[in-house]
Amino acid sequence: MTEKWTKTASDVNDSILANLSNPHPMFYVAWAMSGLCVLLGIGCWVYQTTVGMGTAGMNSPVYWGVYITNFVFWVGIGHAGTLISAILFLFRAKWRNTVARAAEAMTIFAVITAGLFPLIHVGRLWLAPYWMAPLPNTNNLWVNFRSPLIWDIFAISTYLTVSLLFWYMGMVPDLASIRDRVKGFKRLVYGLLSFGWRGTAKQWHHYEAGYGFLAALATPLVLSVHSVVSWDFAMSLQPGWHTTIFPPYFVAGAILSGCSMVFTLLVPIRKMFRFEEFITVEHLDSCLKLTLLTSSIVAYAYGVEFFIAWYSGNEQEWALFKSRAIGPYCMYFWTMVFCNCVFPLLWWSKRIRRNIPISMVIAILVNVGMWFERYNIVLSSLVEDFVPGSWGHYEPSWIEMGITVGSFGWFFFWFFIFCKFFPIVSMSEIKLIMPKPLSRAEQK
Amino acid sequence: MSESGVLAVYKYLDEVTGVMGKIKGRADFAGFEVFSPTSYHEIEHAGDFGSSPVKWFTLVGGLTGTFAGFLLPLACDYDWPLVVGGKTAGLDSITAYVIIAFELTILFGAIATIAGMLIMGRIPNPKATIYDVRTTDDHFAIFVPGIDESSEQANLLKMGGACEIRTVGANG
Repeated sequence: MTEKWTKTASDVNDSILANLSNPHPMFYVAWAMSGLCVLLGIGCWVYQTTVGMGTAGMNSPVYWGVYITNFVFWVGIGHAGTLISAILFLFRAKWRNTVARAAEAMTIFAVITAGLFPLIHVGRLWLAPYWMAPLPNTNNLWVNFRSPLIWDIFAISTYLTVSLLFWYMGMVPDLASIRDRVKGFKRLVYGLLSFGWRGTAKQWHHYEAGYGFLAALATPLVLSVHSVVSWDFAMSLQPGWHTTIFPPYFVAGAILSGCSMVFTLLVPIRKMFRFEEFITVEHLDSCLKLTLLTSSIVAYAYGVEFFIAWYSGNEQEWALFKSRAIGPYCMYFWTMVFCNCVFPLLWWSKRIRRNIPISMVIAILVNVGMWFERYNIVLSSLVEDFVPGSWGHYEPSWIEMGITVGSFGWFFFWFFIFCKFFPIVSMSEIKLIMPKPLSRAEQK
Repeated sequence: MSESGVLAVYKYLDEVTGVMGKIKGRADFAGFEVFSPTSYHEIEHAGDFGSSPVKWFTLVGGLTGTFAGFLLPLACDYDWPLVVGGKTAGLDSITAYVIIAFELTILFGAIATIAGMLIMGRIPNPKATIYDVRTTDDHFAIFVPGIDESSEQANLLKMGGACEIRTVGANG
């Protein structure tokens, strides 16, 4: 990709750090709205905790409902950040340099949001540590390390920790840049946050080596985390869940939802903070190409799932898949198919990829589709299992919907705080893809 | 960082790498430091720093994680063998523990890598002296300790294209 930069390396710090003092007024409106959604979610959660889990719509046979859907959805959203930071770093994809920081922040807040849902789901969250972590207890009983739920605890807490370290270390040189521009108390705070970074050649040397190793470690981690999440389902015997395609299918779906969320966030951010000359249409275009690729993989996985359900000759499996497509919950299935596989096909057209309003609508539809994909997986296999006598019905209660809205508010609330106080675009990395500052003699 | 010396500020990458090539290995420039706004590979090549020891931190951290990842479930099994669905505890279940070991390999490896980056980069450093704030923006600089502005070394820095030469010390 040949960049046509209208800015030089000297403009980077001034332009990008403008967000620290002077965002667009819409930023504050969006922040306040997300805060209101958080309050709604907290209110619903307090009501559920005080009145009881009966206020949520879950009952026999559906004990996993919207909360587990949200958990898988938010973990999936959290995939694009480390994918863009680590895997694209190893592939030396230059466009990642402008979007990686925002994507990493998205990962952190999405995984934190996801982590809330097992706690909300169990109801008495103050007892949760005893079954989620191998803690010594009075009965001398330990957790079952053969359970995918415990693998999930290890996978997600590792993912959150590594993503946090990767994100923060990437930000240290930029925090030092802020330290060198501000005065008084702010200088003290950013001085502490930047660890006294001086930008010496030796510091950069060790930093680059470490960053490469972190990327190499994070790459298999990205692929493992959603594989482990998929085993929460695939290790059971439920029809529709017990299938070996789940790990790659979940990973592709996670990257699809994550990339579409990156696009959904970047479009307003580049407008609010006037970053159009740094996060260019070409960078957004590359992000959409990746989204289109993963959409194709997901479409292929949907097809293979259906084919194998028929080809395996397993009656329960085939009955469930037919029920997904033409049964009482078919609306969710077709929403998922159209949003994740059909609408993204429009991105084969370069003209549509470069039309930001249309692409924004498609990206939001993909987010909706990916939520319904998880809802479809969780719900359809639970309402109709092997024994028709135990079949049931599930609709989310208003408490569950309120907490879901609250989770979106929670995610955006923290993301906006990040946007206000930290550099959203990596200043040190963007300088690397701009024309190098060479003297006239060298340029000739 | 309290030693005084001369700081030469440069605008261009090729100028600073040119000077680095001339002063590298010379005894009268011992202890010189180069400052850069980002990690230009040209500076890394001109500095000829060799391989970073951070890799050893990563390796040791990763192997410790692998060991800890197998030890934790096996030790818990030893303390209280939990038989679930007819599956016996201990080494019989070791395939399931590969996942715990994999995750802890990554976790410990990443934490050790960060520790390596911090230790080798001499940070956190609350007493860090920032000689020129432009070096975290768009300028480069070379600091040579123990010389003054009228010295031959300072002249070489100037001839290399420095846009500014000044004496800096404990107070920057």
